[in-house]
Amino acid sequence: MKILRVENLTKRFGGLYAVNNLSFSLKKGEILSIIGPNGSGKTTLFNLITGIYPPTEGKIFLKDDDITGLRPDKIAHKGIKRTFQTLRVFPNMTILENVLVGMHPIIEENIFNSIFHPPIMKRQQKEATEKAISILSFFGTRLTGTRLHHPANSLSYANRRRLEICRALASDPKVLLLDEPAAGMNPKESLEIMDQIKQIRDKGYSIILIEHDMKVVKGASNRVIALDYGEKIAEGTPKEVSEHPRVIEAYLGKKVAKNA
Amino acid sequence: MSVTSFLNLTVNGITVGMIYALIALGYTMVYGILEFINFAHGEVFTIGGYFGAIFLTWIIIQPGMPFVLKITLIILAFLFSIIATSLLGETVYLIAYKPLVGKSSRIGPLLSAIGVSIVLQNLILLIFGTTPITMPVEAIPRGFFIIGDAYIRHIGLIIIGITCISMFILSLYVKKSRMGQAMRATSQDIEAAEMMGINTNRIISITFIIGSALAAVAGILVCMYYGTLKFNIGFLYGLKAFTACVVGGIGSIPGAFIGSLFIGLIENYSIGLKFNLLGIFVALVFLLGTYYQFYLLPKKAKAGIKFIAPLFSKREEEKGSLVTTEKKTKKDLMSMEEKEMAKKAYYFGPLLIFFNFKKKNPSSFVAFHVRQSIKISFFNLFVFITMILMLFIFPNFQISSQWKDVVTYLMLILILIVKPSGLLGENIPEKV
Ligand SMILES: Nc1ncnc2c1ncn2[C@@H]1O[C@H](COP(=O)(O)OP(=O)(O)O)[C@@H](O)[C@H]1O
Ligand SMILES: [Mg+2]
Repeated sequence: MKILRVENLTKRFGGLYAVNNLSFSLKKGEILSIIGPNGSGKTTLFNLITGIYPPTEGKIFLKDDDITGLRPDKIAHKGIKRTFQTLRVFPNMTILENVLVGMHPIIEENIFNSIFHPPIMKRQQKEATEKAISILSFFGTRLTGTRLHHPANSLSYANRRRLEICRALASDPKVLLLDEPAAGMNPKESLEIMDQIKQIRDKGYSIILIEHDMKVVKGASNRVIALDYGEKIAEGTPKEVSEHPRVIEAYLGKKVAKNA
Repeated sequence: MSVTSFLNLTVNGITVGMIYALIALGYTMVYGILEFINFAHGEVFTIGGYFGAIFLTWIIIQPGMPFVLKITLIILAFLFSIIATSLLGETVYLIAYKPLVGKSSRIGPLLSAIGVSIVLQNLILLIFGTTPITMPVEAIPRGFFIIGDAYIRHIGLIIIGITCISMFILSLYVKKSRMGQAMRATSQDIEAAEMMGINTNRIISITFIIGSALAAVAGILVCMYYGTLKFNIGFLYGLKAFTACVVGGIGSIPGAFIGSLFIGLIENYSIGLKFNLLGIFVALVFLLGTYYQFYLLPKKAKAGIKFIAPLFSKREEEKGSLVTTEKKTKKDLMSMEEKEMAKKAYYFGPLLIFFNFKKKNPSSFVAFHVRQSIKISFFNLFVFITMILMLFIFPNFQISSQWKDVVTYLMLILILIVKPSGLLGENIPEKV
């Protein structure tokens, strides 16, 4: 079953085609990896799906629901959540609060309730906190215990990435978009996060993963799409894509250009 | 100068400070989220006062009315003004700011705000003319206490009470409620908040509504305190409240409160006290300064901490000498000798120039502390001379009241030189 479908998506910044006529779909319960050299439009694709800016052309469907051009908060409510390549936890809020904020799409809030705190709200709050802690404990004790009440900016780089994943998971999203979750982690931590992403998939989440580390991509993904200059140059199993001549060319070409 | 009139000055200072605080919250909350200064907020405050006074004039509070009825009417006036002013604040946002914020340049919304401020002021002028609006006498609590020869009006205490309660509720709301959580998230990263499903448009609207409502309360209270309100009073109050935000650390709610209190007190003390008493405050600053120079900073230097809270200037951070918590290991890179040298730097202060420290080619760590030491030594010297002048040379001098604002601003500039991020300024979150 296809949970997310992208059709002929194009995004132009001035004369630059950041994403160019891209179509693909995500099946329920799979990990789809997006690879490609720097600047090939991967993050832009996430920005389009989450509604930061509207596409120049093309459509995005969640199941059969056309979500093209909706506001980001509406899209989050529909069930698409993401993490950021450039870590964006809420720095002065505690770790627990960060996850609670992530729950916004699933908790009713209105001004009356938040002023007068009826008992039902208290119960809701308590349940939300319990749920947040259980999500955080997915990463062992790294984010729980006394750390729960530390501000997020006290965390290490890798832990902030983990916190972003928890924050995105907090509202049980239908589609989870992970933008380079292993960036800045050491090889051991990369392997660990790869395992954990697979565990998240096995819980039933559908995931699109942007990743540079080919080891992680090969280990984790069901299918891979390779982008270059915003265009899809290959699609298939990790093995197929990594051996595809255009992919090798795209990666090598960049390297040769850099070395030159 | 007796103790009791000191009490008088203090209560007056706190009262005025509370008014500034109510206005300041509107500035600081909007700045926290949109990073723009809503210059029209001062006018929103004036109009709030006008709404309250007009309401009470219309329904004619009469001398013979029973107390309970009078209180009810006054509360109704507050409610009326709060609702009307909130609508005004929200309308201004929707018409003048929303189409501009986040688009193109940063200066756009700012100019728009100045424009709105002028338009609103002219609107008041057009409708009510230059004659100040007056609060019906019956609506003003006229009781007072006499303590010694200090004269303390009930209305002053009422203002302090109302502000403290509002502050408390607001802090609780922002800290505990889900809406408050969403507000904080929005102010820290608006785009990320949006992607977490927070309707940031609504949060911004609520921020404008809360700010305007508090300004309305301040407007009515000022009108009760002084009896009248002039069409252009919002400019000065707005400016002072905004300054209070900056002094307290813009974007921070407790900061706005502390900053406002500070301004209120400085305003009253600086013109109400003779130099011999003002000198006592300067002496306290001097004590604090020497504590920093001879105890706290040397201790930090010895511990190998290169970066000392944003005490002196932001420039040190920009130069990249900021040592974050995660890079604490750097501590151990400083040799014992260097730490000793940095510690000693504080004891000798500016004299270091004569010792020709440069020749010994100090590490950047030592050089940093030498710079800090010279800065704080000059600061202490300046405070010391001021103290001597005040306490012993001109003990009976008193600043005349027309210099009030000048003195206040001089003090504030001094505070900002010493601590650029404001008294309670948030730590700038480290960007990775
Ligand atoms: N908001 C923007 N305005 C203009 N150009 C942009 C913007 N966002 C991305 N780009 C450009 O689009 C291209 C793709 O960027 P990005 O999606 O971040 O690449 P990737 O994530 O694959 O490294 C880059 O050339 C980048 O400079
Ligand atoms: Mg990217």
